[in-house]
Amino acid sequence: MDLTFIFAQFLSGLTYGMVLFLVSAGLSLIFGVMNILNFAHATLWLMGAYFCYTFWNYLHQTLSIALWISIPLAGLVMALIGAFIEIVLIRRIYKRELYEQLLITYALTLILGDLIKIFWGVTDKLIERPEIIQKPVFIFGAPLDSYFIFVNLAGIFVAVALWCFLKFTRYGHIVKAAVYSREMVSALGIPIPKIYTMVFTLGIFIAGFAGGIQAPIGSVTLGMDMSIIIQAFCVVVIGGFGSLIGTFVGSLIVGEVYSFSILYWPDGAMVLIFVITAFILIVRPWGLFGTPTRM
Amino acid sequence: MQRRTFIVFFLIVMAVVLPLVVKEFWVHIFSEILIHALFALSFNLIFGYMGQLSFGHAAYYGIGAYTTGLLMVKANLPLFVCLPISMITAGIAATILGYFCVRLRGIYFAILTMAFGQLVYYIIFQWYSFTGGDNGLQGINPPEILMKAQNYYYFVLVVFIIAGYILYRIGESPFGYTLRAIRDNAERTEFIGINVQRYMHMNFIIAGMFAGLAGALWGPFIRSVAPDLCNWHHSGIPVFMTILGGPFYFFGPLVGSIIYTFLMAIVTGYTEYWPLVSGTIIILVVLSLPSGFLGVADNVIKKLFVRGN
Amino acid sequence: MAQDFILKIERLRKSFGTYQVLTDVNYELEKGIIAAIIGPNGAGKSTFFNLITGYHKVDNGKVYFKNIDITNFKRYKIAQMGISRAFQVSNIYPKLTVYENVRQAVLAQQKKTMNLFSYASSLAQKETNELLEITGMTKIKDSIAGILSQGDKKKLELALALAGKPELLLLDEPTAGMSQEETFETMELVKKLNREIGLTILFTEHDISVIFGYAMRLSVLYQGRIIAEGLPEEVRQNEEAQRCYLGEEI
Repeated sequence: MDLTFIFAQFLSGLTYGMVLFLVSAGLSLIFGVMNILNFAHATLWLMGAYFCYTFWNYLHQTLSIALWISIPLAGLVMALIGAFIEIVLIRRIYKRELYEQLLITYALTLILGDLIKIFWGVTDKLIERPEIIQKPVFIFGAPLDSYFIFVNLAGIFVAVALWCFLKFTRYGHIVKAAVYSREMVSALGIPIPKIYTMVFTLGIFIAGFAGGIQAPIGSVTLGMDMSIIIQAFCVVVIGGFGSLIGTFVGSLIVGEVYSFSILYWPDGAMVLIFVITAFILIVRPWGLFGTPTRM
Repeated sequence: MQRRTFIVFFLIVMAVVLPLVVKEFWVHIFSEILIHALFALSFNLIFGYMGQLSFGHAAYYGIGAYTTGLLMVKANLPLFVCLPISMITAGIAATILGYFCVRLRGIYFAILTMAFGQLVYYIIFQWYSFTGGDNGLQGINPPEILMKAQNYYYFVLVVFIIAGYILYRIGESPFGYTLRAIRDNAERTEFIGINVQRYMHMNFIIAGMFAGLAGALWGPFIRSVAPDLCNWHHSGIPVFMTILGGPFYFFGPLVGSIIYTFLMAIVTGYTEYWPLVSGTIIILVVLSLPSGFLGVADNVIKKLFVRGN
Repeated sequence: MAQDFILKIERLRKSFGTYQVLTDVNYELEKGIIAAIIGPNGAGKSTFFNLITGYHKVDNGKVYFKNIDITNFKRYKIAQMGISRAFQVSNIYPKLTVYENVRQAVLAQQKKTMNLFSYASSLAQKETNELLEITGMTKIKDSIAGILSQGDKKKLELALALAGKPELLLLDEPTAGMSQEETFETMELVKKLNREIGLTILFTEHDISVIFGYAMRLSVLYQGRIIAEGLPEEVRQNEEAQRCYLGEEI
């Protein structure tokens, strides 16, 4: 087993991990702050991918940077949709029982999934890559899809941006405090509802942005959300709800485990990930970087 | 108590007579309603009685379905023998997986059950040589006398009534009340000397066995099984049905199954967007009918009787 | 000397994070008496009970019940062995009726809870009704427990604890929220059980009249240590105890 090959697998796993991170970051954030497990998170991600395609499709004849505009644009549109969903629906379920919250976000998955079908149809959507990312690059002899460089950079960028947000801005401090104790934040006179709307919108923005990033990888197809959401749950469980580092590390772990187990046990890649997830839930339910008090 | 016995008697009479007067299509629907209702009743042991949300119950349903499917297709065992064996295999799975699940509560319990559900799904999906992978198994044919829709329906009805009665008795037993106690205040239950985890585990196993029974009835019904029977979407169906009917009433899951299955049969006749419709209904029901349809009926009946007096 | 201590605590220690709640607590409780522990809030009384009943794990030290080491045993095991507890903040079944609450505890004691086939409604009727009667709740037996008054909830607490047919009963502020009359009824009941069936009782209280009316032995817990112990009258004279209460008459 030569090193170049292993390195290639590593890069592949890294990239996949970044994709997972981009999907899971918002999920973890939303759960950490509001205790809502958003089943529909990956469906919103997929919607972002479809929106990205639509924008690209509309722009690419006239603009060479169409793709690079469409991606953040998708994020913005999804942010609006996210804000709408929070105000109209999510807001009503904060005080509800767990099963009601889960059922509602699950129902949202069904509704949004069909809306995607209605607006974009059932055919796969393919984005033609611009010249710059059509050919693979070689890193230490290992081939890497050149677009993947962008994906990795995007992942790191989002991670760093979120980290700076949480560490250096006032809103970020509030969010971090709310993850730890929302009663305290409320007691300090900070309006929790506004925070929740903001956090949810931010989370969905990231999801939409991530969907845009995903769009040029392969094609955009129905059902992608179903396979990704479970993996995102695994990531957030392993890493720990509400922890940015945890989500990042968890994504990389899942990405690399998946990438390498494809080599030795292709059928068992997902099985292995579920076993790890189950193991963490049993032994350390709050994840590698989560806080036990949240149990 | 008198009123309830009368209602049950009436329901049984309806269940026996209706299939004789409607088209075969509806007889199929009735069978489907009963099988799903059994699935949902088993789920409600964990949810309504014990207060935990399992989002992976379809795993045991699927294991039951595959057990019967495999035994009938590969070993030519008769259906009547396959049913109890399916309950046992589903029960074994529930014993192993449940051991870990009952150490958690709330959202972690929900996620672990879901993870285990997906684990079972993937194992069945990937184990092509044994389970046929995503092709599933075909040609699961019930015995000659049950090939006709009506006959299979009566078979399912009998199994349902027996299983339903057992579940009812379990619910009204000291064990059943202990489950309610665990739901209401698990901590206090420990302090009166009850090993809560052991009871949760026991309940999980029983629920798994009856889900397996429902699955075992399903395979021969549609003559095939597929891995999709185990995935988390399918796990959502009993949850939805139970909420729809009302989780705190014994017949809640049955009512939910009736409403859901009828709605699905009718709506899919007009549009392919059943997820959109069902998703919307779920949201409406959860937001406005916290005790399900039976909850509403209960209030209405109470009001009626008060006025009557 | 006949060691008839039903409860023996040695060097018990517990901290939560950096906050040390109990420091080297030693305690001996003779069988068949009514004893009380008092101390200002935060002294560690509830933690003391929590450690005995397995609610928390001890950091250090040992708990002996009838000379058996029960340190860190599981909660249900301790309850089964004969220690029952009534909580300070009522820990009852809010959605069940008073009758169902008590019946549940009775069924647990009778080890009938694994029964899958009888009708629960037909079992344990006699014992449940008896318990309701002696705690004065027969009239409210069909009320939903969650909406009861504070005092009634406390009575239910007591009934639940008694249902276990314990040998040692731990009561955490048993008369909190009760009227004078209810307080008297409850404590007379406690006294009667002690006299008639030899039930050992350890309770905490803030109501001074209850302490001096019923306790045969008194210990003072202050900042995680027992600083005074003995007959109630003796403790009353104890200077250190008086100092700790700083002006509060004991």
